[in-house]
Amino acid sequence: MKKEKFRKLLNSKVLVLDGATGTELQKRGMPAGVSPEKWVLDNPRALIDLQKKYFRSGSNVVLSFTFGGNRVKLQEYGMGDRVREVNRELVGISRRAAGSRGLVGGDISSTGNFIEPFGDTPFETAVDIYKEQVEGLLEGGVDFFFIETMIDIQEARAALLAVRESCDLPVCVSMTFNEDARTLTGTDPVSALVTLQSLGADAVGCNCSTGPLHMLEFLKAMKPYAGVPLFAKPNAGLPKLIDGKTVFDMNAQEFGQYVPMLAEAGASMIGGCCGTDPSFIHEIGKCVKGIKPGPVGNSRFSAVSSARKTVHIGPACPVTIIGERINPTGKKVLQAELSEGKTTEVRRFAMEQIEKGASILDINVGMPGINEADRMMEIVQLLSTTVEAPLCLDSSIPEVIEKALRIYPGRALINSISAEKVKLEKLLPIAAKYGAMFILLPLGDSGIPATSAERKVIVREVFRQAQFYGYTRQDVIVDGLVMTVSSDQQAAMETLDLIRWLSREFKVNTVIGLSNVSFGLPERTRINNTFLAMAIANGLTAAIANPSSEGLIPVKLSADVLTSRDKNSRAFIAYCTTKTKTDAPAARVSERTVIERIFAAVVDGDREIIGDLLKKALAEGFRANILMNEHLIPAITRVGELFEKKEYFLPQLIQSAEAMKKAFEYLDPYLQAASADSPQKAAIVLATVKGDIHDIGKNIVALMLRNYGFIVHDMGKDVDARAIIEKARETGSAIIGLSALMTTTMVQMQTVVELAKKEGLACKILVGGAVVNQAYADEIGADGYACDAHIAVKIAQHLTSA
Amino acid sequence: MVISGSGNRITYFDTVPVMPSVEEIMSRLGYNKSLTSLSAGDKCFIDASIQLGLALCRNQGAACRFTVKEHKRDMVIFGDNESFESSRLSGLLSNSDEILLMAGTAGPEIMNRINSEMESGNVALAVVLDAVGSQAADVILDWMMEFYKKILRREGKRLTMRRYSPGYGDLPPANQAIIFRLLGLERLKLKLTESMMLVPEKSVLAVAGIEGIQPE
Repeated sequence: MKKEKFRKLLNSKVLVLDGATGTELQKRGMPAGVSPEKWVLDNPRALIDLQKKYFRSGSNVVLSFTFGGNRVKLQEYGMGDRVREVNRELVGISRRAAGSRGLVGGDISSTGNFIEPFGDTPFETAVDIYKEQVEGLLEGGVDFFFIETMIDIQEARAALLAVRESCDLPVCVSMTFNEDARTLTGTDPVSALVTLQSLGADAVGCNCSTGPLHMLEFLKAMKPYAGVPLFAKPNAGLPKLIDGKTVFDMNAQEFGQYVPMLAEAGASMIGGCCGTDPSFIHEIGKCVKGIKPGPVGNSRFSAVSSARKTVHIGPACPVTIIGERINPTGKKVLQAELSEGKTTEVRRFAMEQIEKGASILDINVGMPGINEADRMMEIVQLLSTTVEAPLCLDSSIPEVIEKALRIYPGRALINSISAEKVKLEKLLPIAAKYGAMFILLPLGDSGIPATSAERKVIVREVFRQAQFYGYTRQDVIVDGLVMTVSSDQQAAMETLDLIRWLSREFKVNTVIGLSNVSFGLPERTRINNTFLAMAIANGLTAAIANPSSEGLIPVKLSADVLTSRDKNSRAFIAYCTTKTKTDAPAARVSERTVIERIFAAVVDGDREIIGDLLKKALAEGFRANILMNEHLIPAITRVGELFEKKEYFLPQLIQSAEAMKKAFEYLDPYLQAASADSPQKAAIVLATVKGDIHDIGKNIVALMLRNYGFIVHDMGKDVDARAIIEKARETGSAIIGLSALMTTTMVQMQTVVELAKKEGLACKILVGGAVVNQAYADEIGADGYACDAHIAVKIAQHLTSA
Repeated sequence: MVISGSGNRITYFDTVPVMPSVEEIMSRLGYNKSLTSLSAGDKCFIDASIQLGLALCRNQGAACRFTVKEHKRDMVIFGDNESFESSRLSGLLSNSDEILLMAGTAGPEIMNRINSEMESGNVALAVVLDAVGSQAADVILDWMMEFYKKILRREGKRLTMRRYSPGYGDLPPANQAIIFRLLGLERLKLKLTESMMLVPEKSVLAVAGIEGIQPE
């Protein structure tokens, strides 16, 4: 069947699909545990009878019994090498049932594997698996394809591409959403629709998992953005397990009540999934009689999507910030990481930009010495699952863009397509194949036109060519081409003129690479922010910018309010409210004495200034032991009190401890000089016990003990009992502190206690760790148990004070 | 049509699309909303440290369903004659016909950074990163449980409310080795030490029960 004919058919009436097949075949004798496909091949009459019954009940379409007809599923029954044959034969059986009664859709569903980036099956492997099944279905003579029960948008994309790269038959794609309106991998109905219809699906819908009530909501959400017909194949309500059998809670009549509503919500095809049977189809047929589907394809909107989010762009939407920071130009750390194959900086930039206000992330990994295509694919895979924001794929190499588009589990934005002949010819068909939006860069082979008039000519020409590939004005964002005003002061005005024309006359979305405007000037953020406001006033819809740049987001939000893009100023008010909370100025006492500032530095955990403050205090004549005993120790004690009262939490306690450590290190030479008349400090051996590799808790205890004047011999982790005892004896330590995180390793504490006793060591033993408690400490004969580092200090002081 | 049901096919989640919330991480560090006060500097440090920690997490997971063969008072026998010896676990699984074994890891990068910051004396940063990593490992398992709950709902089944990890209650840590082997966790580049420690450390294993939803 030709696509056009299929579309006309769906415009003429609501098509009735079939109902459940697997459960109905079980009623007809198919045993559990067998290969359903194999059983039908051996018992074709059962399927023919059922499908004939569906046609008699009102179905216009039945689906081939090839739900599990892919290599992965068939392999589970030892039929992985018979994919084409199985699919061809099964389609033949359905064709016999259909005769001239109706259509046969080639049914395709999940392999059960998870596809990259969510799982470990390479995307191209999935495409190949589906292509093999598609060949068999084509050989069997299907009228169109029906990809269904997809829980992972990436697997749906793989199946859709497999069909499109194999034939020109119509293809419908159906996702399975749960009651929370998300697929199992988190895709919402609108993002699924935007992704799949731009990738070439001829109809998009939902099936399985929920009953008609929830599906109604999914269709309503999709309808405003549907450029293709929608459809629904709900379950007969929700399942329950009764005597080991799955039973659904809705009968045909109840189901039928929802059918007119589904049609009204936009469904051009309606059928049934789990729990339905021919009586449900009869009910659907009755209910859709005389209903003509609403018009399809009239929606006009600009949007890009990720697997989990859709971002709309346009004059009625808030200005879209496309985060520019994932670009190695001028960023040494990022360059080094990209060279070494690391991704920490990329992930940090991604999360930071989103937090600051970017809606889309531009990804550019172009730099010498790396394989740009490989790195781009890796970063796209990574960010597709790490962040929800859609991606803007930014490369000057068409092959890099193509590879990234293929694996990107959404509708991407391409940055960019210019009028340069070679790039235009290569990139337009690529962009069209994957349904991506693109940034139109108005420059050609002769370079960057200086005037807006010349740029308008290029815009018209590129758009004319893009229309051949089905592009509309909503699918394109034109770059205003920002040039630096320090070399040409007229440049900004040319850009603004172009934006104004694009927005008001050509009626397309516009974008600027904001920071170019201020290159070479001081106080660049002022120029950038002012230019952003001017461009927005002229109709700008998006900006490629650094959302962390000072003042940028407030300017954008203010402009959104002033141009009526932020309804009721909600986003602006929300931003101002948050900002007031986080920017509350800390009370500062500017005229403190140096001693007060030393105390405050420890309490505030400011290790950067404590050395300078101590230097100043010593210069003012304060003695080191006075600074230590009368100011630093009381300060860290105060921190301990704040921690006990929960006014401080762990990171604050440790920051203070770090400041205190720094103070100790600074004063140590002075204290050593005066140590002759000081009392002997107590020594402690600390260790994480044998077999245990967790030592962060023990390290915190070591830090705190040192701050209170103890000499700490930290032996690290996974330390043998004998070595601990020998170290304690060798250092004359008063205490052995032991740490363990696991129940398997805490028994080593007892070994140390027993060995210490056996060796006649006079040391006290202090224990702690996640699984240790006072009862265990008592049981093994330890002298103390500390639940945290602060308590460990107190107990150590107590044990050494006797 | 129902998504694939039980069967010993291990599902590997190369990227688990979930991150712990800032609130969960702060809570793990002892932050008390009504008592703890943060200066602007403290907040800036904590926020930046958490952001770094989240950027260092590479969340992965694995899970597999196994049929329960026999329930005993203090033992559950499942799969190919594997068993967990634990009366509390056996109690938890008393209505379960199947069990779900799960593993989650935040990956090696965050642990490497914790160690290097600790060695450099940046203990506060290391502690925040440690909390991020620990919380990440937990939310990976939370996410996988939610994932399977949705699959099971279609089969008229559900997961037990709680999951159980070796080393807790009366389920000895030695059982880590059973889960490790059955989930083939070398594939996630995990290792198990002789003392049953998972490497990298920010990794967790667990078991939950699968039971039928009975009509009310």
